[in-house]
Amino acid sequence: MEDYLLEIKDLQTRFYTDEGIVNAVNGVSYGMEEGEILGVVGESGCGKSVHALSIMRLIPDPPGKIESGELYFYGRDLLDLSDNEMRDLRGEQIAMVFQDPMTSLNPVYTVGDQIMEALKIHLGMDNKQAGNRAAELLSLVGIPDAKQRVKDYPHQFSGGMRQRAMIAMALSCDPKLLIADEPTTALDVTIQAQIVDLVKRLQENLGMAVMWITHDLGIIAEIAHNVNVMYAGYIVERGSVRDIFKRTRHPYTIGLLGSLPRLDEAPGTKLASIPGLPPDLIALPPGCPFAARCTYAIDKCKEEMPQLEQTDGSDHIVACWRWEEIEEGISP
Amino acid sequence: MTEISSDEIGVADFAVREHRSLWIDAWRRLISNRTARLGMVVVSIFVLTTVFAHFFWEYDPRTDLDYSLKLKSPNLFPTEEVASIHPFGTDKLGRDIFRRVVHGGWNSLRVGLVAVGISLLIGGLFGLLAGFYESIGLSRAEKILLRVVIGLILGALPAWIAGQFYQALLFAALGLAAAVFDKFLAGKPTRVAFFAGIGLLIGGGLGLLVAPAVGLVCGVLGIAIGAVLSLPLGGTFFSSTVMRGMDIILAFPGYLLAIAIVAFLGPGLEKGMIAIGIVGIPVYARITRSSVLSVTQKEYILAAQSTGEGHSRILFRHIFPNILSPLTVQSTMGLAGAILSAAALGFLGLGAIPPTPEWGAMLGDSYKYLASGAWWAVVFPGVAIMLSVLGFNLLGDGLRDALDPKIQT
Repeated sequence: MEDYLLEIKDLQTRFYTDEGIVNAVNGVSYGMEEGEILGVVGESGCGKSVHALSIMRLIPDPPGKIESGELYFYGRDLLDLSDNEMRDLRGEQIAMVFQDPMTSLNPVYTVGDQIMEALKIHLGMDNKQAGNRAAELLSLVGIPDAKQRVKDYPHQFSGGMRQRAMIAMALSCDPKLLIADEPTTALDVTIQAQIVDLVKRLQENLGMAVMWITHDLGIIAEIAHNVNVMYAGYIVERGSVRDIFKRTRHPYTIGLLGSLPRLDEAPGTKLASIPGLPPDLIALPPGCPFAARCTYAIDKCKEEMPQLEQTDGSDHIVACWRWEEIEEGISP
Repeated sequence: MTEISSDEIGVADFAVREHRSLWIDAWRRLISNRTARLGMVVVSIFVLTTVFAHFFWEYDPRTDLDYSLKLKSPNLFPTEEVASIHPFGTDKLGRDIFRRVVHGGWNSLRVGLVAVGISLLIGGLFGLLAGFYESIGLSRAEKILLRVVIGLILGALPAWIAGQFYQALLFAALGLAAAVFDKFLAGKPTRVAFFAGIGLLIGGGLGLLVAPAVGLVCGVLGIAIGAVLSLPLGGTFFSSTVMRGMDIILAFPGYLLAIAIVAFLGPGLEKGMIAIGIVGIPVYARITRSSVLSVTQKEYILAAQSTGEGHSRILFRHIFPNILSPLTVQSTMGLAGAILSAAALGFLGLGAIPPTPEWGAMLGDSYKYLASGAWWAVVFPGVAIMLSVLGFNLLGDGLRDALDPKIQT
């Protein structure tokens, strides 16, 4: 077996709410290598973020609970660590960037103060060292005049700059894994491209692994090595970015790709969309969760959940009863 | 590592060069607000006069008595009848009302500060912990501590009945065991039965040493305590217990509760402070909890957690500064309320003990003479109460506007 940086086995996370048990993550398994950029795609509420927060063990408990599974990080199961050991790991080994740059910085402290936090906690730096390092990090993420800017408060930063500052915070201790939870969703398109470029470049220079969670397939195509397509708390297809885009085998992924606007389409062509809504995570259907919306669905799909299968012996895996037929090019 | 040059990013050059913190911004907004300025002037005059009077203008209420000057009307110059100057007139014992109003201010200020201090400290702490643990959850160490404390508090009752104080310690130990071994007795019914059984042994066993009846009562209590300790107690449990306790205090009308507490503690200015402080606790607890709940939803709290910061650091470094604005506003308004409550208690003869100068007590002493035309004995302390309350309320309103998070980005 290969040595993974992060290996997840059968992760299940549930939320116990008044309305019922929400099955947010339902047995996710995969491995991530050092220096890999993994894209995680799916609609809102498909368990992308919850699975990332489960890795950080930051699921609010109650109501959330990591029901079962193993999360090996450098061979150590994160779920076996004590609270203190886990805290030492967060920020130092695994760091995270969040979606909304407007609220992810504390308004009462300067940006520099917040970057210094992790340096002081994990690397035991004093104020002066941490201050210098904070300025270095800010200029590393491309903020001009960083020495002055560390003394600014978050409201003096624009959205894109705040997201850069967040990235600087996350990178402060040289983590092995950076989890970026929709870091560009709240930014406008030009800034998005800058952030994607920045992370790509930082990844090449620093060599950390990056998990990029998004619903934007365009970004995935640009940045990721491997892709996990998630639906209703399951991984439905996983493979290299080339496999996912060129040899798409799961109807959901086909639907996602189909709903992207294309430049080479004839003008006036209607944009395709996947009909219906994702299933209620409180009452998941017995069969494939996508069956109700799937144009390829057969009776078997509604009764039995397909397991992830390797296709042609490669790392490209898919959970669909009809992937072989789809591969041969049947139409729905 | 490569540096990325600044012109690549297109960050505008017009960014503000000044490093302004939220508090400095709020201060600027405060002093540019006319109402707030008025409030500040009134409050400053009130605070400065009373503080200066207390330290530089000696007054001994015990010896202040002159029947020859009984109920004289205000005079700004010596007259034939009254040789001394009494700008606010004199009261039924011939005491200078101006002097007593100014010195009474010191007592009002003290009551206000101490009462608000008590409410803020206790209520704020409860609210802070309740809100924090409700949304963040307890760490393992905190879960253990919570159960030990619950065991100790609940165990105190049978311990008191049986007259064996170490019984409470045994229940605390049971709580510790329940928390440490929470994974072992996985099935819920067995778990409850197991701990209820041990509770029965601890409660009943020690009770039997005293008398069979005591053993029975303590045994039943022990079963209940054991069952409670076996439950999966978390942050929500802690929060709702604390907040329901606060609701119980709130269920009593404020003045009635204050009067009851003073009746229990005995009259006196200090007892009044404590009573008013206790009555105010739930208000601060609720405000703090709700502010904490909204702050903990912010992504920077999650970001702080993902940086590996511990609970206490998140609580005091990240959450506390962000809930200061509502607490500042409430405390300022609370000072006004406490001054008013102190006056009410004083008026009823439950606050300051005569002859201590206190505005409410002065009113209570003098309203009987209103009919005989001695309006000054009532009006001046009354106006003092009104102005100080108004001043703090205006300042509180101004602070609310200045600190309103909606104005900030």
